[in-house]
Amino acid sequence: MTQIEPEDTRVEWEGALVERARAGDTRAFERLYREHVGRVYGLCLRMTRDPAIAEDCTQETFINAWKALARFETRSSLGTWLHRIAVNATLAKRRKASAVMESTSTDDEGEAIESEWTLETPLEVNEIEAAIEQLPEGARDVLVLHAIYGYSHLEAAEMLGVAEGTCKAQLHRARGLLRDKLGVEVR
Amino acid sequence: MNSANDNGERKVVTSLRDMPRSIAPPRDLWAGIEASIAADRQSDTGESNAAEVSAGSRDNTVTDLGSRRSSGARQFTRLRWMAAAAVIAALAVGMWVGRTIAPTTRPIANTGGDINTTANNVPPKIIDEPTALQAAYISDPKYRQQRAALVKSLEAKLASLPPDSRAKVTSSLAAIRKAKQDLEGALGKDPSNALLQELLVNTYQDEMRVLTTVHEASDSGQGI
Repeated sequence: MTQIEPEDTRVEWEGALVERARAGDTRAFERLYREHVGRVYGLCLRMTRDPAIAEDCTQETFINAWKALARFETRSSLGTWLHRIAVNATLAKRRKASAVMESTSTDDEGEAIESEWTLETPLEVNEIEAAIEQLPEGARDVLVLHAIYGYSHLEAAEMLGVAEGTCKAQLHRARGLLRDKLGVEVR
Repeated sequence: MNSANDNGERKVVTSLRDMPRSIAPPRDLWAGIEASIAADRQSDTGESNAAEVSAGSRDNTVTDLGSRRSSGARQFTRLRWMAAAAVIAALAVGMWVGRTIAPTTRPIANTGGDINTTANNVPPKIIDEPTALQAAYISDPKYRQQRAALVKSLEAKLASLPPDSRAKVTSSLAAIRKAKQDLEGALGKDPSNALLQELLVNTYQDEMRVLTTVHEASDSGQGI
């Protein structure tokens, strides 16, 4: 007998909701919203550092997702897809972000930043959030996507519309800045 | 920045990978999203011909989504601005009265005779008659009766005001009327939206304030 994995069940359940939403069922879309809004808002808040702007970006994310549901492939992760839209919505609010990031993409592009982002000493979440909040936009964006949400360098780079090398350089920079702000080594 | 730990929990982590990925927004954002979707649906229906022409070039790819502001979101924001404009219009007239004629004003009940004497007047075009949808929200018979009486006599009352006061009132009522029309349109698409319902009722109250102000100002023989 085949054992049903929770993740499989979730994907099927989510896929069914997506299908219903595609057919125009807003109740189904609301359930998807309720399931994902925390992750979307969390990303937007960490990228924007402003709760009001993060709310706007979150709303825009779901409105845009509704419009683009026909293009979503149900085999893919809805969470990742929503995050891509959320990043776009956030970057659109910060029109200069791409230029800033490209201009800081000079050093360490070849350096592999494979890290678990482990802290030398355990720290409180709020303390870490405060330190992340103080990072420059470019470094903060890649750190949030890669270190907190677990996207690969390539995925984070694609979401942000930058080269993979730029993403790595920004992560290298972010790690150094974070170490300075937290006063502990980040490995 | 609020976080998942704002509830007093002091969570400690040893890796950034253990940071909470989900943060609940401080308020429910669904109402705004739903209103935008409803508005967008309606505009899509209304502009179906145009949509068919441009369907080939419509780009729904994820990469473009962020750069395109939602027309639904814009519509919702616009409605809120329209309602705000109606409030400002009503306040402007009200404040003017407060500064100039408030001490001499009489209760609206005292204007009953005046209202009846002009009952045969044609309602001015700056005030629209309640539609079925509006009436559903503004269902108090006393309110409707009083409003109808005020509207009927508005033209005569306006004529007795100085030109600048008349222009101010006309402009305020036009702003309120536009807000009402837009809100009514949005409610037609999303009848159960509580925020829109509240905005519409507020706009009616603003209109009532202006109408009452005009009557009081006219009866006092002073401008607004």
